[in-house]
This record gives sequence, C-alpha cells and structure tokens, in this order.
Amino acid sequence: MTRPAVDRPSWLTPRSRWGLIVLAAIAFSLWQARVFEPNRFNVGGIPQLLRFVQASVQPDLSLDFLQLTLDAAIVTFAYAVCGTFFSIVFGCVGGILASEVWWVSVLPRHATRPIWLGIRATLAVPRAIHELIWGLFFVNLFGLDPLVAIVAIAVPYGAIVAKVFSEILDETPRQPLIALLNSGVAPFTAFLYTLLPQAFLDLLSYTFYRFECSVRSAAVLGIIGAGGLGYQILLSLQSLRYEQLWTLFYALFLLNGAIDFFSAWLRRRLGSPSRLDLNLRKQARSRGSGGSLPDAHPARQPPERDRWLVAVGLGGLLLLPFSFWYVGADFSKLWSARTLELLGDVAQTAFPPNLDQSQWQLGMVAVQTVAMSILAIAIAGCGGILLSFPAAHTFFLPGGLFTPAQPSWRDRVLAWTGVLGTRAALLIARAVPAPIWALVALFVLFPGILPGAIALALHNMGILGRLMAESNENLDPRPLVALKAQGTPAALVFLYGVLPMTLTRSIAYILYRWEVCLRETVIVGLVGAGGLGRLLTEQLSSFDYRRVVVTLGWFVILTFGVDWVSGAMRRSLR
Amino acid sequence: MKRVVLSTLLSLLLPLAACTPDSSSSSNEDAATQPLVTSAIPDQDPEKLQRLYSKLADYLETELGVPVEYKPVTDYAAAVTAFRVGDLDMVWFGGLTGVQARLQVPGAEAIAQRDIDADFHSVFIANTNSGLTPIDDIAQLATLKGRSLTFGSESSTSGRLMPQYFLEQADVNLDDFKGEVGFSQSHDATIQLVEAGTYEVGALNEQVWNSRVQEGAVDLDQVQVIWRTPAYYDYHWVVNPDVKERYGEEFVGRVQAALMALDPSVPEEKEILDLFGANQFIETENSNYSQIEDIGRAIGKIQ
Amino acid sequence: MTLPAPLFELRQVTQQFDRSLALRNITLQIFPGERVALVGSSGTGKSTLIQLLNGTLLPSQGEVWALGHSLSQGSSRQRRQVQRQIGTIYQQFHLVDTLPVIHNVNAGRLGQWSFFKAAVSLLYPLEVEAAAKALHRVGIPEKLYARTDQLSGGQQQRVAIARVLRQDPVAILADEPVSSLDPELSREVMALLRELVQEMGKTLVISLHSIELAQQYCDRIIGLRDGTILFDIPSFALSAERIRDLYRLREPG
Repeated sequence: MTRPAVDRPSWLTPRSRWGLIVLAAIAFSLWQARVFEPNRFNVGGIPQLLRFVQASVQPDLSLDFLQLTLDAAIVTFAYAVCGTFFSIVFGCVGGILASEVWWVSVLPRHATRPIWLGIRATLAVPRAIHELIWGLFFVNLFGLDPLVAIVAIAVPYGAIVAKVFSEILDETPRQPLIALLNSGVAPFTAFLYTLLPQAFLDLLSYTFYRFECSVRSAAVLGIIGAGGLGYQILLSLQSLRYEQLWTLFYALFLLNGAIDFFSAWLRRRLGSPSRLDLNLRKQARSRGSGGSLPDAHPARQPPERDRWLVAVGLGGLLLLPFSFWYVGADFSKLWSARTLELLGDVAQTAFPPNLDQSQWQLGMVAVQTVAMSILAIAIAGCGGILLSFPAAHTFFLPGGLFTPAQPSWRDRVLAWTGVLGTRAALLIARAVPAPIWALVALFVLFPGILPGAIALALHNMGILGRLMAESNENLDPRPLVALKAQGTPAALVFLYGVLPMTLTRSIAYILYRWEVCLRETVIVGLVGAGGLGRLLTEQLSSFDYRRVVVTLGWFVILTFGVDWVSGAMRRSLR
Repeated sequence: MKRVVLSTLLSLLLPLAACTPDSSSSSNEDAATQPLVTSAIPDQDPEKLQRLYSKLADYLETELGVPVEYKPVTDYAAAVTAFRVGDLDMVWFGGLTGVQARLQVPGAEAIAQRDIDADFHSVFIANTNSGLTPIDDIAQLATLKGRSLTFGSESSTSGRLMPQYFLEQADVNLDDFKGEVGFSQSHDATIQLVEAGTYEVGALNEQVWNSRVQEGAVDLDQVQVIWRTPAYYDYHWVVNPDVKERYGEEFVGRVQAALMALDPSVPEEKEILDLFGANQFIETENSNYSQIEDIGRAIGKIQ
Repeated sequence: MTLPAPLFELRQVTQQFDRSLALRNITLQIFPGERVALVGSSGTGKSTLIQLLNGTLLPSQGEVWALGHSLSQGSSRQRRQVQRQIGTIYQQFHLVDTLPVIHNVNAGRLGQWSFFKAAVSLLYPLEVEAAAKALHRVGIPEKLYARTDQLSGGQQQRVAIARVLRQDPVAILADEPVSSLDPELSREVMALLRELVQEMGKTLVISLHSIELAQQYCDRIIGLRDGTILFDIPSFALSAERIRDLYRLREPG
C-alpha cells in the first residue's frame, strides 16, 4: 500500500484564510442588515411591485413620448461619448504617471516606489466620490451647463481608467521597452514604440467597456439640465409613471445592448476577445513550457485590414465631433476667471472642514455603508456567476460544450431561448438604474440595508454577469474537451473544468466591482438604511459643505481600505 | 408606419437645425436681449411642469418684452446652486429651498406666491394595517413613536421640514421612530410606500395628496390621512437681483405685476393658473418665511 | 484462427470541416493489445483520427465503432459509457491549470463518481491514496497537492498520464504526447507509456512526429498523407522509401 508521499496541506492557505474572512464579513453584513430578524418581507407591497412589473409589458408607446425618448437617448449617447473621451484622455496621462514601469524607465536609479504609489493613492480620491456628487459640485462651478455632466463623468472615470491603464501597463512584458531604453531612447518615445502598442488592444477593449459604463452613468445624472434619459427617468420617477419609466428603460436597454453588441463585434475583429482582462496575464505567462498555443484562442489572430473595420473606425471618429457639437457644452468655462472665482467661493464655504461631530459615530455609520456594499457585491457576484453560464453562447447552444451532438429542433429552440433570455435579463438588470431598483425593492422589503443592497446587487449583477459570460466564452476549451472525451457527465465537466477555470477571473471582477458598490451606496439613500450616503445627501441638501468634506473624507478612507483588501485578495488568487 | 419613420427622421434632424444658430448666438448678443431664465424645483408632475413652464414663459415674454427661457432642473440642491451662480434668474422654490437660495444670494427677493401658499398644509398618512387612527391634537403625534416613518425629499418643506417641526412640537424626535426615517424622494413615492406598508406613516404635501385622491390613484382602504398640519407659507417665486442690472431697476416690480395679473377669467391665463393649482398669484415678501428660516436653522437645514 | 473482435473500427469514414477535408474514406481496424503509431506530416488528419476514436468528433460520413458500439448512434449516456473505456493524452496536456494536481488526477474517475462525491472531493480530496499511487507510477509523487500551473511541461504531461491511469481504460489514445517535450523527456515519457501499456495489457493508439519513436515503441505503423492511409504495416516493415513517400510534397497542379 503506497502512503501518499506528501501530507494533506494545511487548511489554512492564504486563499482559505481570505475565504473565511469573506464569509465572516458577509455574515456580519447580514447581521447588520437584520436579515436574521423575522418579518423582513413586506407582503403588503406585492400589488405595488406587480404594478411596476406589469408596466414592463405596457410601456408608453405614444408617438410623442417615443420621440422624446429618442431625443433623450441621443443626448445621453452624446454625453457618454464626450465623458468617455475625457476620461480616456485623463486616464492615459494618469495611467502612465501611476504606473511603476514609467517611473522605473524615467528614473532608473532611484527608489520610485513612493512616487507612483503616491499618485495611485491620489487617484483614489476622485474614485471615491460618486458621479452624482461630482455633478452637484460642478454645478457650483459651471452652473447648468452641459459641461457639468461631461466633467462629472470624466473625473471619476478618468481616475478609474488611470488605475486600470497603469495596471495593464505594468503587466505588459517589459523586455522590448528595456531593450530600447538601454540603447538610449528617451522614455516617452520608448513607451510609444513598445508598451503602448503592446497594450493597445487591452486599452482599447477597456475603453469600450468604459463607454458602456458612461452610458449607464449618464442615465443617473439627471441634473444635467439638458434632457437625456437620466433627466426623463428622474422626472417620470417623481410621479411614478411606470409606463413611461419602462419606455425609457427599454431605450437604455437598446442603447446598452447596441453598444455591447457593437463593441463585442469590433473587439472580435480586432482580435481582443475580452473587454476587461484583470489579473490574468501573470498567470498566463507562468504557464508551463507549453510553447506557443496556435489554436488556443482562434480569436487572437492578427487583425486583418478589413474594410468594415476601417469604415467603422471612421464612423466612430465622426461620432466624436458630432457628440461635442450636439451637447454644445461651453468649454471656455473650464478656464474662465469666473470659474476660478466660484471655486474660491466653494472652497471658502467648505474649509476648514467641520470636525465637531463625533468621528467615532461617523465610523459606525461608515460600517453600515461597508456592510451594504459587501452584501450588494456578494449577491451580485453570486448571481452574476450563476447567470454567466447560461448567458455564454459556448455552453448550451448547438455545438456548445454541454449540448448533445445532434440536438433536436426543440433542443435548439430551448437553447436559444435560454441564452437570449438570460442575456436579456442581465441587460434589463443593468439598464434599470440602481435608485429605481431601490424603490422596487422597498415595496416588498422593510426599510434598511437589505433593500439597498439588493438594489445595488441587481444593477451590478447585470454588469458582472455580462463580464463573466464573456470570460466564459473565451475559456480555453481543450481541458473541457479532454474531460468530455473520457465520458465525464456534463455536470462534472462543469465542476472540475469550467468552474475552476472561471472562478479566479470571476472573483477578480467581483473584487474590482466592490469599490463601485461602495460608491453607489450614495444613490440608494431612499431605502432608509442610514450609512454615509444618507448623511451625505442630508448635508448636501443643507449646503453644509464643511461637513460634506468630512463625509467625503470617510468615503476616501473606505475606498482606500476596499482597494487594499481587494488588491491583497486578488494577489492571493494568483 | 411611414409617419413614424418620418417623424423619427425629423426628430433626428430638428435638433441639428435648432442647434446651429444657438451655439453662435450667445456671444454676440447684447445684455438687453439676454433671456430671463426661469426654473422650478421638481415637486410636481413632470409632464405638467414642462407644459406649465412653456406656457408661463410665453405669457411672461409678451408681458415683459424680454425673451424668457425655461431650464429644467431635477435636484433641489442643484436648483439652489444654479440660482446662486446666476444661471437661473427666477425660480419657483419651495419654502425651505427659497430661504436657502435667498440666504446664498444677497438681495434676492420673494415676489409672489399662489393664494394657497399662504395657507399651506401637510398631511400625515398612515397604513390602515398599522392600527393608527386619525388624531385631532398635535400632542397626539406622540402616538407615532415606535412606528416607521418616511418623509419625501430632504429639502421639501411640506414633505419634510414642517412635518418634522410639528413632530418636534409634540416632543417626537426622529430617533423615536422605528429604524431610520426614510426619504422617499417624492410625495408620490411616499404615498406608494405607505400604501404598501413598507412605512407605517408618511408625511407629504396636502395638495399632491388631494389631487391623487381625486384621480383615484390612492387605495383609501390601505392608507388614510391621520392628521393635517396647521398652515404655513410654502412655494414662492424668488428673483435674482442681477435682473435689475440687466433689464432695469423696475423689472422686478414688472415681473411681480405680470404674475399677479394672471386672470382666471381669461382662458389662456386660467390654464396657467390651473396648472399651478392656483386661483391667482398674490404678493409675498421675504419676511413671510422667517418662520421657515427659524425652523430650518433649528433642524439643521440652514447653516 | 479467427481474429478477436476489433477494439476500434472505422468504416469508410470521411471527415469534413468547414472548408477542408481532413480525412477521406478511411477504413481501419485496431485490435486489443496492439500498439499503433500514426505518422505523417502536420495537417494530415492524425489528430482528427484520434478525436474520432474517442468520440469528440462525429464523422461527416461513415461510422466509427469502439468497443463494439457505434459512436455516432445511441444516447449521449451510452456514448459516455464507451468513452469511459478510452483514455486520451494530448500534446498540450489539457489539464485544468488552476486546480491542484490531485484533482486533475482524480478527474480520471469522474466518469464513475457521483456528482456528490465529486463535489465533496473538490473541497476535501477523496481517494487520495489511489491518486498518490498513480502519481508515484509516473514519478512525481511529491506533486500531489501542487497547483498544476506551477509544474513544468514534462511534469504536466506526467499528470495527464496519471489521469489516464486513474481512469483505467481499455485503450489509451495519445495525440502527439511528446511534441512539446525535449528529446530526453520524450523518451522517458514514451518508455513510461510503453511500460504501462505492456504491464496492464492495454491497447495504445499514438500519433507521433518522430518515425524513430514510432518504430522503437510501437508494433504497427499507419502512415497518413492528405487525409488518406498511405500504408498500414508492422514496424519492422517500414522502409526508407516509404518514409520518403510519406513526407513527399504533393505534386503541384
């Protein structure tokens, strides 16, 4: 009898330790949300819920309203284009400055760690604050100009893009760059000729993803004052015109769906199948001596010069001036003397910060916010993972991994219904803004953290599910085919193949999205959950800017914390 | 079908056509033809708001002889801020937001209100399953302790400020309610959430409540009024002093006169008054809102 | 003397992909205990043939029989029953990188395990001894709990072989199992395969780039060119001329 040559490894790996911490955090959040107390479900609100659901099949399709919706959709689209443009510009500059590799190239013989770490830390400040709050701030500087919405999207998104771009740059192989630097090429030129082209597809894919996010953001930025879906949604929400709301949601649905489809098509053509490659490169590089894998990702082939691509590229470039012209923002306000004067006014009303509230109490409030974000991201993550499998076209469709070799006609119809249905559900989940989900959740749940978490979870599940479905579709099929070829039943192919291969990436997405959930707790304040978001809206509506600064400071601290924890967890997954 | 396509095309093209002169105009225009920009805080039916203000803008344009523009804003704080930075010249504010705006813009004046605004009320409503019954004395608000309560928007005078004030008069603090007090963000949402039973009690604008009851949009078996607050001053027009520089010293007076001249016997003007839910506009002044200001300070909504 | 029933049989099999013809009208029998090498240049259909034998592909025309069952007929359940008796080793190992080695080895038993058992084993590895034994056989017992993507290429191929050992099939198919390995490792892996096959009386069908390896380790060699069988002979009968013929470019035109 052979005794195993090695003992069972200890249970306490860094991974399992994080697993336990996560479970404990979720349990704590559930307790904070009072889930364990009886009667969290409000049966009395079912009729209200049904009214909302019912309106989904009878949206307002009157010609007037459709026209208004169409116009609003174009406005939203244009805002998203402009907002994305600026966030990419900020992001490129910030991304280079926040990357380790840039500073290592520029100052090769210095300890540069504090510099780029410092810049990365600074980027957490704009990221910590929700677009809506930025919007309110910029009204103070630019008045009701469309510029407000553009900058409100561009500032936090620019910081996010900078963070992600810097990570992409740092994970891109450096040998070509170092070769150029060693031959005396100036750092920026060397970047232009090595890292940037190497990382270009990843950067571009991420840009498309940001654009999709911008559209969703433009849909909650109702204050922009010049129409747009967000404005219409807020108006219809105020008087609870569900039929109109659904028409607007369907417009968002179509807009999001079209962009989604289009960017997927474009990315396929360009040979970059994933819109957000998180955390996987290093793993891929450390992969055995596998050599080149010509057939691993058929999509990763050098892009051919095809006419369609050129046409679409030109069309895309034309969209940019169109959007700027259509939005008609007054960019001169960015540098006008009056803006500076107004900035001085705001600074005067906001400083020095008012620290006379008990910071201990604020800390307790912050705990509620964190609990809501944990619960939200946990639900969104689990739901997203579950739905990402039926939403991926590589599993259940004819010719897929889990389909019989010769599916009957009925099987095909069922398979297509399943895939398209799941995708539509995910699309609806992310097309409906979180505050609307909050109201709906509040009909059937008693006020507190739970309805807020569920609202954020639904919205983010739609986003995560889509990202994960995409990573499922880009899965290396070979280990799965190998399992199948030895007669493994589909359920076990899933358990021993699909799940372990996708879980790492899915968790990376979830951790990345957690920060977003934290920020978004601000916009589901109506659920009566307390937390920093509630406090912030109260302070903003009281023009108590000295306290607003303090609350935002707490958001920044929390964002730091979330960033650190999620970074540490992602490292342990590698 | 053809019509749909055509109108779609038109709606695509119209804004293009409309935009062109717009972008070039603002720079070479002199101050005299600069439009008077009006706005309103979002408290009413949005569709109505839109119709209301385009009609009113037309009326004021003919009465005052200057171009009048309506800019929609969906956030209370944004409306106040935009008024402060001078992007809005004349705004239909609520009681509290009006005071906040005037405190931030020295010289701003409250000029007119509806006849009903001098005698405005809020109502407390309760879900019938809560077992709460109508009360007739302010002191009995104490029976609401331990129940769950939702207001409307944080800055709403009728949906938050005055109800909270009357509660405090009866010695009921926000801590006395079950859980956190909710902010449903609108009067209509308050009705729905109380009707659903999510919150046992809600406080809102009486005018909105009455019109929803009239429309039959409220299930009176589920929700009922338990108390009507005493009267207070609410909505009013506030004008930015900048307009005097632009259109002359007497301009504020002319706007006030134009508003008060709205005549219920003239059909078009009656329509405007109806949309506002008013019989006529009456004069008002800053001092009418000193009570609101005091309460605002006490509650912390005014710093 | 009557021949035993063939383990694998291809009857006039043609395999067509989107644009190209991979195999043309192949008829072939493989008997229990044989060690068959498939040789020929790249793209001549060796991998396709292996995929047909283990049921990953269904032929465009003709029939594939394995262990007395037609792979193109019957329910997917029945096909799985047959597939459990056929183990496959691949050029790129085809392991689940992110799992520890033990799960990849135990994956060979998934055809037999219940869902519940498989799920529990992912959390608390079961049948550890058997897995350790298989790893011991392939010479890397110490890697039992290592993460698969931390192993070298040769070690990963050994894990793949251990997986097949755990599966304990009647026939082992190998699709260029040593092409990713250096010559030294190749010989080691080939020797290991032969040893296992001889010892346990299994049938081996292996596609190889190297004629020497084929001659050295197999007793029957099938030469494929342009999707057809050029020759099918005992190893000792392979002549230099045949080899030249096999790699000769097709006449243009």
